[in-house]
Amino acid sequence: MDSTKLMKLREESGIKILEIKTDLSSYAASDLRKVLEGLLAEKAEKVVVNLSQVSHINSTAVGALVGVAKRLRQNGGDLKICELADNLTRTFNLIGASSVVEIYESENSALAAF
Amino acid sequence: MANADIKLKIPSAVFYIDPVRAFIGTLAKNLGFARKRVADIQLVIDEICSNAVHHGSIDATVGIKLQIRSDAHSLEILVSDTGSRDNKEKHWLTPERLSEIEANRSPSNEGGHGIFIAKSLSDTYEIQINAAGGTDVRVVFKLLKPTDIKP
Repeated sequence: MDSTKLMKLREESGIKILEIKTDLSSYAASDLRKVLEGLLAEKAEKVVVNLSQVSHINSTAVGALVGVAKRLRQNGGDLKICELADNLTRTFNLIGASSVVEIYESENSALAAF
Repeated sequence: MANADIKLKIPSAVFYIDPVRAFIGTLAKNLGFARKRVADIQLVIDEICSNAVHHGSIDATVGIKLQIRSDAHSLEILVSDTGSRDNKEKHWLTPERLSEIEANRSPSNEGGHGIFIAKSLSDTYEIQINAAGGTDVRVVFKLLKPTDIKP
């Protein structure tokens, strides 16, 4: 199954909002990377990734988010993450990625931070 | 609850990791692990199996073997890859390679976190070269810790 179908993209005030509706294990992580690479190719600058419907994330998916955040910053943009379940927050904290990518409690607060 | 010794073999492809993660999650939950700990166990299995697919049994046809043992005190999982036909990838997780990965790990790196996660979240983490020319990774999760006792 193509998990990109469970990654919905919309736009608000020039900010791309990617809503993930599938767990981000190794299988879906490669699709997440493809979607994020697509945003980079489109020259997107501001991206919010909403993980409210994700109950599992592995290091490959975290790495994809970190990598794209770093590349967006090089061009003056950024990627922010919002609405993480507790276990996802623990994974980000364990890896240390929460010091690299900005994490917000709500989508509105992530949007407002741009 | 009887002790269990379960053996699984999956094709070496990430597509098959999710069903394994789901099965082990259900098993851990039924063994009495707390919800947070079940999530830890599932993450560790995802990371170990992903490494086995990407670095160990690169040829999808050779597969990955899992041996799962459980009793009233612990859940033990052994993930075995067979190494690839390319000799460079045999025994990919040697002690030297492990040291290198650990030394180079950084939060801003995109990769190299899987082993760190597995070591951090399991009670026992062991690696060794196996007879098939691949790598065995064994993790144990102990049940009888105060944080694991269901409320």
